[in-house]
Amino acid sequence: MSEPTLSLKDVHTYIGQHHILQGVSLDVNAGRATVLVGRNGAGKSTTLRTIMGLYPVRSGSITLDGEAIQNRKPFHIARLGIGFVPEDHAVLTTLTVEENLRLAMFKESEDGWRRMESIFRLFPDLKRFLHSKAGVLSGGQKQMLAISLALVLDHRIVLIDEPSKGLAPVVVEHLGKSLNQIKDTTTVVLVEQNFYLASQVGQDYFILDDGRVAHHGLMEDLVNDHALKRKYLGIG
Amino acid sequence: MTDLTPVQRERWHEERTRYSRPGFLIQMAALAALVVIPLIFPSFRVMDVVAKIMIFTIVVASYDLILGYTGLLSLGHSMFFGIGAYSLALVIYHAPQPCWYHFLVAAGVALSLSVALALIIAFFSLRVKAIFFAMMTLALAEFTDILAVQWYDLTRAEDGVSFKLPGIFNLGWSGPTLGGIEINGRLMTYYFILVVSVILFVMMVRFIRSPVGRVLKAIRDNEPRATALGYKTFRYQVFSIVFGSSIASLGGILFATWLRYVSPGSTLSTPIMLNILLMVIIGGLGTLYGSIIGAAFIKMTETWLPDLQQAAETVFPNMVILHRLAERWILYFGVLFILVVFFFPRGFVGTAREMIRRRKAIARKRS
Repeated sequence: MSEPTLSLKDVHTYIGQHHILQGVSLDVNAGRATVLVGRNGAGKSTTLRTIMGLYPVRSGSITLDGEAIQNRKPFHIARLGIGFVPEDHAVLTTLTVEENLRLAMFKESEDGWRRMESIFRLFPDLKRFLHSKAGVLSGGQKQMLAISLALVLDHRIVLIDEPSKGLAPVVVEHLGKSLNQIKDTTTVVLVEQNFYLASQVGQDYFILDDGRVAHHGLMEDLVNDHALKRKYLGIG
Repeated sequence: MTDLTPVQRERWHEERTRYSRPGFLIQMAALAALVVIPLIFPSFRVMDVVAKIMIFTIVVASYDLILGYTGLLSLGHSMFFGIGAYSLALVIYHAPQPCWYHFLVAAGVALSLSVALALIIAFFSLRVKAIFFAMMTLALAEFTDILAVQWYDLTRAEDGVSFKLPGIFNLGWSGPTLGGIEINGRLMTYYFILVVSVILFVMMVRFIRSPVGRVLKAIRDNEPRATALGYKTFRYQVFSIVFGSSIASLGGILFATWLRYVSPGSTLSTPIMLNILLMVIIGGLGTLYGSIIGAAFIKMTETWLPDLQQAAETVFPNMVILHRLAERWILYFGVLFILVVFFFPRGFVGTAREMIRRRKAIARKRS
């Protein structure tokens, strides 16, 4: 078995006085789509934000291709090749769609411009609204743009936090198809409450419960394990 | 060219046609107007208003870089303006004879002091909370104002410093008469201010249109997001503060060049800071071009609104009530400001851009 691209070992994270992650350990393999599922407050989003350096690691380690990255500054972690799509459609609202994408390119390159074109094939709406301010886009379009910001660079891994949150079912369906295309080209870690979407995109899964990994395995096994789903996700 | 993506091609075409677009032609017309105004209206009053509009445009635009584009509320921008003004005044005042190189020395002193102070402010305040930046700039600005008032031997306190400029900028200098227009020291100073103001303004426009400007706007919008995209936001914020403050100090040098007199009240005081703040709000935050409108609005109303009283006395010599009402011009200034904020909530330029954007969006939807 090859070394995992991203590895968390016994990671503990506090937010203020609250002990949120209580020893999370997980491995993300290259070229796979890994989904973190669990109830609200289980620590899924905190795990992603801790990987990105937005919350400090109290103890434990995080490695990217063998290099320790815990407690590095977020901009440094981003430059190491981790793309992050925060929840709530985080785009730069007063910049145009094009400016958002050029900003995310970091250093404009031929490769970046070509990736922008492939993004337009994935999300044609973005091309239509290229000169519009991101603030005037619909929720779904904002989410597409937010995801695109992580795709315009050739990241080693892309972390996506609850992309379906607040979106209409028809938009979620389109998003699922797009995420399936994205996972073919890059390693994805997805946090998702919508189990249908998670099961469509994910290949590996980790169930988080009370700040710890309660279970993990192949997504196809979880889909058929109704008892496990009922116990940790509240769905049958 | 064939290897370019469609978006790149669009940008390339845009770059090529930049100098034939209406926006550029309007800018050229405005520039031409600034060149001919002193020739058409040779009165000192008109020239004085236009020169001050140019100077304050630079100062307000530099403030817009910090507040409008980087999202940092500075209450000490007048300090940098004052540092520039005092640099020129004191270098010339304390020298035995005014010389050309005094401008360079003053610019060197002003820029060194501004960069040093801006760095100190940035390093001590940005790592804490945004409000600390406002507090620290306010405290330092007050300190500088008090220092200028108290240190009589250096600054002549509230008496201020009067000085003479060298060569063609000297008020006593008189050149040839061209087409009935006398070329004198005042006119040469006006054109010097025009040239430097245009250079500084173009520098700021290019700064905002550069990738750095894009990052600054991103920081203003959502700093954690900009960080997560790989940007060391602190470095960009420091750069913006240093750049904006340096330009303001050069604006101060222009101000001193025009007035040939500097005092704490005219450069370092709180009302100057409030004026800068008013100008940027009226023009439109984060628009840069709004600084022209903001500076013009305030300087023109400040200059011509007091004439109401005289106009009332001339046109209606027997209507005492009207004379009394006309005396309260400062009240009308306040009312005017409220009306502008009410009808143009994003400032003149900000609101106009918003309307144009909305129209374009509607047109796009229809097509």
